[in-house]
Amino acid sequence: MSERAKDGRGDQGARARRGPGRRTRGGPARPRARGRARALRGAVAAALLAGGLAACGGDGGTPTLHWYINPDNGGQARLAEACTKAAGGRYRIVTSILPNDATQQREQLIRRLAAKDDQLDIMSLDPVFVAEAANAGFLRPFTADEARQFTQGVFPAAVESSTWKGRLYAAPFWANTQILWYRKSAAQKAGVDPNAPDFTWDKMIDAAVRAGVTVGVQGNKYEGYMVWINALVASAGGRIISAAERGNDASIDIDSPAGREAARIIGKLARSKAASPSLSTDMEEQARSLLNSDRGGFMVNWGYIWRAENDDAKSGVIDKNIPNDLGWAPYPRVRADQPGRPPFGGIELGIGAFGKYKDTHAVDAVRCITTPENMKKYMLDSGNPAARPEVFDDPEVRREFPMATMIRDSINAAAPRPNTPYYTDLSAAVQSRWHPPASVNPESTPRRSAEFVRAVLRDEALL
Amino acid sequence: MTAQVETAPAARPAARSEISDRARAERRLGLLLSAPAVIVMLLVTGYPLLNAVYLSLFNYRLTAPQDREFVGLRNYITALSDGLFWQDVFTTFLITAITVAVELVLGFGLAMVMHRAVFARRTVRTAILLPYGIVTVISAFAWRYAFDLQSGFVNSWFGLGDFAWFSDRWAALFVICLSEVWKTTPFISLLLLAGLAQVPHDLSEAATVDGATAWQRLRRVIIPNMKAAILVAVLFRTLDAWRIFDNPFVMTRGQEQTATLSFLTYDQTITRTSIGMGNAVGVLLFLSVVLIAAVFIRGFRVDLSQVRGDR
Amino acid sequence: METGRSKALWIVASLLILVWTIFPILWIVMLSFKQPGEVGNVQSFLPKDWTMENYRTVFSTSLFTSALINSIGVSLIATFIGVVFATLVAYAIARLEFPGKKLILSFALAIAMFPVVTLVGPLFDLWRTIGLYDTWPGLIIPYISFALPLAIWTLSAFFREIPWEMEQAAQVDGATSWQAFRKVIVPLAAPGVFTAAILTFFFCWNDFVFGISLTSTDRARPVPAALAFFTGQSQFEQPTTAICAAAVVVTIPVVVIVLLFQRRIVAGLTAGAVKG
Repeated sequence: MSERAKDGRGDQGARARRGPGRRTRGGPARPRARGRARALRGAVAAALLAGGLAACGGDGGTPTLHWYINPDNGGQARLAEACTKAAGGRYRIVTSILPNDATQQREQLIRRLAAKDDQLDIMSLDPVFVAEAANAGFLRPFTADEARQFTQGVFPAAVESSTWKGRLYAAPFWANTQILWYRKSAAQKAGVDPNAPDFTWDKMIDAAVRAGVTVGVQGNKYEGYMVWINALVASAGGRIISAAERGNDASIDIDSPAGREAARIIGKLARSKAASPSLSTDMEEQARSLLNSDRGGFMVNWGYIWRAENDDAKSGVIDKNIPNDLGWAPYPRVRADQPGRPPFGGIELGIGAFGKYKDTHAVDAVRCITTPENMKKYMLDSGNPAARPEVFDDPEVRREFPMATMIRDSINAAAPRPNTPYYTDLSAAVQSRWHPPASVNPESTPRRSAEFVRAVLRDEALL
Repeated sequence: MTAQVETAPAARPAARSEISDRARAERRLGLLLSAPAVIVMLLVTGYPLLNAVYLSLFNYRLTAPQDREFVGLRNYITALSDGLFWQDVFTTFLITAITVAVELVLGFGLAMVMHRAVFARRTVRTAILLPYGIVTVISAFAWRYAFDLQSGFVNSWFGLGDFAWFSDRWAALFVICLSEVWKTTPFISLLLLAGLAQVPHDLSEAATVDGATAWQRLRRVIIPNMKAAILVAVLFRTLDAWRIFDNPFVMTRGQEQTATLSFLTYDQTITRTSIGMGNAVGVLLFLSVVLIAAVFIRGFRVDLSQVRGDR
Repeated sequence: METGRSKALWIVASLLILVWTIFPILWIVMLSFKQPGEVGNVQSFLPKDWTMENYRTVFSTSLFTSALINSIGVSLIATFIGVVFATLVAYAIARLEFPGKKLILSFALAIAMFPVVTLVGPLFDLWRTIGLYDTWPGLIIPYISFALPLAIWTLSAFFREIPWEMEQAAQVDGATSWQAFRKVIVPLAAPGVFTAAILTFFFCWNDFVFGISLTSTDRARPVPAALAFFTGQSQFEQPTTAICAAAVVVTIPVVVIVLLFQRRIVAGLTAGAVKG
């Protein structure tokens, strides 16, 4: 189809170029120019028609589903192929890639959904954006039957963040969480056991200072920082926002004992010797670099670390012994007597509310993509953890990911970020008052951020 | 075309009407020739601008279209009374002032070298033109990675240890300005080179014969003779710098108070999908640009019809 | 005339300029030859192990190859149309007396300084309504519109300096008006038109905001926008080296143009001012 359209364009260009030359010849050119114009219009119409027909018809009448995926090195594209094959000609799935930045992914999808785009059949959504799209009516809610299928045997955090006002709007596809990664040598030197049940942030920071090593976190002003703040607040037993279904009248709970405790820890780490020198711009990969450096000690980060570290050691860009020195432990606690609530991430599959096949093939395709077998296949292929705990018991998965059990338990305990249609505003507002980490003060930061969030939600402040 | 009109038979008594006929034909041709360009420019900017002004009067979120509500000038009042707006105005002003000043001096030097280069003239000219053609986003990436703590070479070459450039407002602004200067100085130097070429050679020579020092020649002869070129170069660059976006976007995403006005607009419209507020900030940005242009054109008497300083 | 000392000064200045302009480009080239894992772990200018892997990666994905084709096609078409339009306007402004001349120039200036970010939202809606979203024309039209001002300004300044009376002189000498135009005016105007074409091409090649907002698939997405779609092994790993390889590839045309036409660009921008 694109070839045909291009031909049409070339033709049009050639005609346009010839056009003005004719006119300068004077008199008789006029009627002929009009004839040309008519021919040109005809050609354009034909090209458009051909394009339109090709788009409607597809390949011999097979309905085409467009799946918008986050970049993942080809894993989802391969799943799409597999499911196309499994469909046996009932439908085919074509993947289109979104930008690699979650904020930009949302931005593209939301803008097209707001324009009621019927090309958006299936979308890979970050869990925090489901509520917004659902509330705006951009996503097709699943029926009770479908919902049962998509939520049975799935991690609770994944279900919670795919649900809005009691209905399921997205099917959990893969789930992610952060755990504590550390250099065994550094922990030994500091004389701590990160796997001890009462290992807290305070203990970790003190140990790192003692041993002259660092604690890597995500302190850049971006979503990853919000992930950290939310995990700390939740681990302290609080939440950032509640009654989110009241929209911009939701109750802002960040100015609470839990919020102040989170602020205390962030400020303490940021102003200690254990902080990264570039803490206020550190993202996942900078934290990983820090762990690999001479002062590497501890780091909270997602599950991809295992593969990334092994690959880098193999290709010789980091010391070959680092993977052997790499340990993992549950996300640190805030209070010694209360289990930590690690961050939750991943991808859920939403079905566009304006697609042609939203009630038929799109649902089937999502069903195919999210079977336990395909989740396992995707986990082994891309390294992204499945959204179903049962996959973690698979021997192949266990061989590939020695820390599979811990990741499973961590996702089970994970605290999703606030489920609100105003998530982007909320997150940006919190980040803006909590950044840079070294400026965070338990007495003032939570209070100021609560006031600011309120103003932003009411559209009374710029972000 | 003119030739055709001239061949039209004209009797002497009808001279007046002939002139007005010619004038009319010329007028029509002029408008006709300008039409395609003006129409394209209007299509792309005219409608969207009006649309932006209209939308800025609403409290309107892309994700809550049903809550759209007319609020008059409230978005403007909110924006203008917000500290963040003025902070971004200040940042934008700072970047603009610094980069334009540095580029003017540097660009003048480059223009001189291009004008008088005695050594590897071709290579030097090519080298100067290169950054102009480089994609801004790529330039931003290059400088960001160079100053990056983990992978850059700047810290290790200059013995700066673990100084984090992008974690400090002034250091981050410095790198942003550096990338901007690197990328756009060639443009300013080309405009200045055009001006330099207009300086009458004999004047400069006469001054040398009169025993004027290089500095005196520069101040008394060269600069006054290329005043028009300098003003136009500064105007174009000022307006361009005032909407700087790509560099902060790639380097800092606006953190550490490095957000600019374009960035603020982008954040409200695209990231927050707060269409009303975003368009209000966008319109303010546009008005500020008009204001700057007006100041230049009225205040400094930049005669825009004389870009090349026809004198 | 030049003394030895001032000559040395010029040479030093030239060398400094070479280092200043070429170094960042060289740095991108170096990054493009590094292994993906090296960025972030090794602080050095030169690659530890030189590898072509990034170039292989980049050229094996349709994400990049189709973006490259889009960039080239869209930029060339936009440049061609833009220069034709600009030439018409510039000719009219330089040669003809008609009302609204200043208005057109001021309007062009207003466009040149338009904050592009403001337009993206409304333009997106408009393009979707008339079916230009994610198509080549959908990018070509805004490119033309934003490249026109500089082209018009450059060309009208240039045309003003052309000794048009030579055309009449040639006609008096017996040439037809077409011959006079072709033999006298075209050679005089060509460098200016050429410069305008290069400036326009650079502008289109450079665009980022339109590219990212008005496209959604391989059908129209240009390279600078496609860079944001690159990814490493996982979503958290920055594909720095692949981005740099792509950056090097899109920089090659720029280098070639500058190398080939360096004299033309400089001449075109300054010739308008040099009489005779």
